[in-house]
Parts: sequence; structure tokens; C-alpha cells
Amino acid sequence: MTTGQIQQTVKKFILENILFEDNEDVIKNDDSFLQKGIMDSTGVLELVRFIEEEYKISVDDEELIPENLDSVDNLAKFIKGKTG
Amino acid sequence: MKICSNCILPETFPGISFNAEGVCVYCQRFEGKETRLSEDKNKYEGKFFELLSQLQSSPQRSYDVLMAYSGGKDSTYTMYLLRAKYKLRVLALSFDNGFISNTSHRNIKKVTDNLGIDHVFFKPRWDILKKIFTYAAEKELYSKKTLERASTICTSCIGLVKSLCLKTAIEQNIPMVAFGWSPGQAPVQSSIMKNNPSFIKMAQDAILEPLKGVAGDDIASYFLNEWHYAQPERFPYNVHPMAWEFYNEKMILEEIEKLGWEEPKDTDTNSSNCLLNAYANDLHIKKYGFHPYVWEIANMVREGVMPRDEGFQKIYQKQPEQLIEIARRKLDVE
Repeated sequence: MTTGQIQQTVKKFILENILFEDNEDVIKNDDSFLQKGIMDSTGVLELVRFIEEEYKISVDDEELIPENLDSVDNLAKFIKGKTG
Repeated sequence: MKICSNCILPETFPGISFNAEGVCVYCQRFEGKETRLSEDKNKYEGKFFELLSQLQSSPQRSYDVLMAYSGGKDSTYTMYLLRAKYKLRVLALSFDNGFISNTSHRNIKKVTDNLGIDHVFFKPRWDILKKIFTYAAEKELYSKKTLERASTICTSCIGLVKSLCLKTAIEQNIPMVAFGWSPGQAPVQSSIMKNNPSFIKMAQDAILEPLKGVAGDDIASYFLNEWHYAQPERFPYNVHPMAWEFYNEKMILEEIEKLGWEEPKDTDTNSSNCLLNAYANDLHIKKYGFHPYVWEIANMVREGVMPRDEGFQKIYQKQPEQLIEIARRKLDVE
């Protein structure tokens, strides 16, 4: 599984479940979810629940930081690091 | 209007679609996850006991938990559990948004007295609240996602409550903040969560800037400042025990009535403390075509903690006109 594939999966989830949009251009991979108003902190937790199920990983409390979760890029790097 | 044959989500809800049997996509996604949910509830109850033993009552601290106490049925029951079941030292904090019903004021006093709990009221400046509520009545302030779960007025209030509770817990060195979220309001996976300073700062900045634009810079005093962020070791856990506890509305009402709690007759079907809620609901329904509580109630119906007809009754009825009028008059809006 490449970082690019993870980015695609995460982006697809956000478009279908959070933004309800077909147009991929509405979100860039480095857009901050919170600063750009793409989702609120509850939305980020929903995303965490999705990646835990999708990638069979467990996200610890101390990993719930913007550097891991606040953009498609950050999430993909974080997931890649967790799954090896 | 088409409504899911399993839960109660309407066709106007964002992202919804239905299969041939009329079951919505959210119910379809939930299929087969009942066992996982039950396992998660047990897991998080265990995690809570672990957290309690890790935190252990310390003589250096005056309280184990700060309860965000609205006086409504869910936060009353949550506070009862914290005190009676988990034997914690609780400080209750109630946020007075100017619309707390008289019955709820009495309930807050009776319940805190009967449980032996210290209590503080926080009443922000009315001019600030009024600016926020009147703006939120007309315009969007937050991300689109928030509109699925609550009206913009409710999200504004809750944002202030969360921030004030976190701020107070850091200042008083209280290691947990408890909320009375129902099982439909927030998933069990978020029921025990350590607040992370950088995440909180980013989330706070995202709502503080628009709020400053509406109500002025003075609103910043209700939010965390650099002093708070410089105390990362004091950042508390957020907990919402009803995510893993047995939830049944009738049982909850019976239990809290023993504490002197009375069911308010002057609020709408989705609030047991707030006189602004019906106005906020009415605006949301007219603007977006669905009830701001439908997501929460549909989750509870889907997860089997509320019968469908009961959920249907809560959502699909007109908002009480006299309550809408009270809010309009107090906010000076048409």
C-alpha cells in the first residue's frame, strides 16, 4: 500500500461522508481540516474511527494531534507509519 | 417526505440514499456492527476504570471531575453516576445562556444539593451572547459538518461550554471533564479522550476568529489563552460515560426523579432545560429541511437504545410557537 493509495482512500471518505461532494478539487492534500473549516473536531474523530477500521490500527490519545490528523497528507503519512 | 424505514433519517439529510427496502445508507453501513459496538462499550468501561485507578484521588486536588451540568436529564444522570456509582469528587459547572427554564434552575439546585456536589454558575455577558445568537440565527458560523448534528445556535452555546469547562479544569487542576452526551450524540470511541493542547488550539482558533468577528475581542476571555497552553500537564481527559452505560430514557427519568429532578413542562421535546432550543430547531428545519436532533435520535434508534416510534415523536412534530416567541422577544428579532 503506497502513500498515494492511502491519500486516495482518505480523500474519498472525506468527499463522500463529510463534504458530500464529487469534485476532488474542493480539497487539497495539504489543506488543514480545522483551519479551512472542512470539518470540526468531532468530524476529525469520525475520520479517526474510519481509519482505525479501514487500516486495522489503533490510534492512541497521544497520537491525536494535528501533525498526524489535520490534513490528507498528514493522515496518509501517519497511517503509513503505523502500518509499516 | 421519505423517511428511512429503519431509523428516522429523512431524505433531506445530507449524503443520504435509500435501498429498495427504504433503508438509508447510514443504517446499511451499521449492519453487522452491533457486536462490535457492544464490545467497544465494555472496552471503554474498562478503560474508564483504568483511568480512575491511574488518576486516584489526590489530596492535592479538590475535585476528581468537572461536570458540564446543564440541568437537563442526561447531564443529571451522568453526574449521578459519577457521584453515586464511581464515588468521585465532582465540581458541577452550569452555563447560563439566559434561557434556562425556571424548572431547570430548581432542578440544578435540588440535584446538586441532594448529591452533595459543589456547583458554580457561569453567566457570560448578555450583550455578547445576544450578538452570537442573533447572528447564528441567520448565518452559518462553523464547518458544514456541524449542521448535521446541531443548529448553529446550539453549536455556539456548546462551544462556549466546552471551552469554559476545559479552561476551568486547567485552572483548578481537575483531571477530567465530564459531559452528558447521549449514546447518539457522540460515539463510544470518543468517550474517553485526553485533550491535546495543539489539537485544542487549532480547533479553538477555528471557532474563535469568526466569533470575535461577531461579538468582539472580549469573547476571547471565555477561551484558553497562552497561559493555559503552557500547562500541558494540566490538560484533562474528556469523558462521556453514557456512551458505555446502559441507556434507557424511562429508567433515567425514574432514577433522577429520586434526586428531586422534575421534568420541565416549558421546554420542547428535545431539551429538558433550554428555552432557546425550539427557536434554534425551527430555524434549522426551515433552512436545511431536517431537524437538528435527527442525527442523534436516529443513531439511538439504529443502535436499539430508543424505540423508533419514540424517536419519531421527538423529531416529527411542530416546534412550540410560544417558545419560539419567547426567544424572538428576548433576542429582539422578527
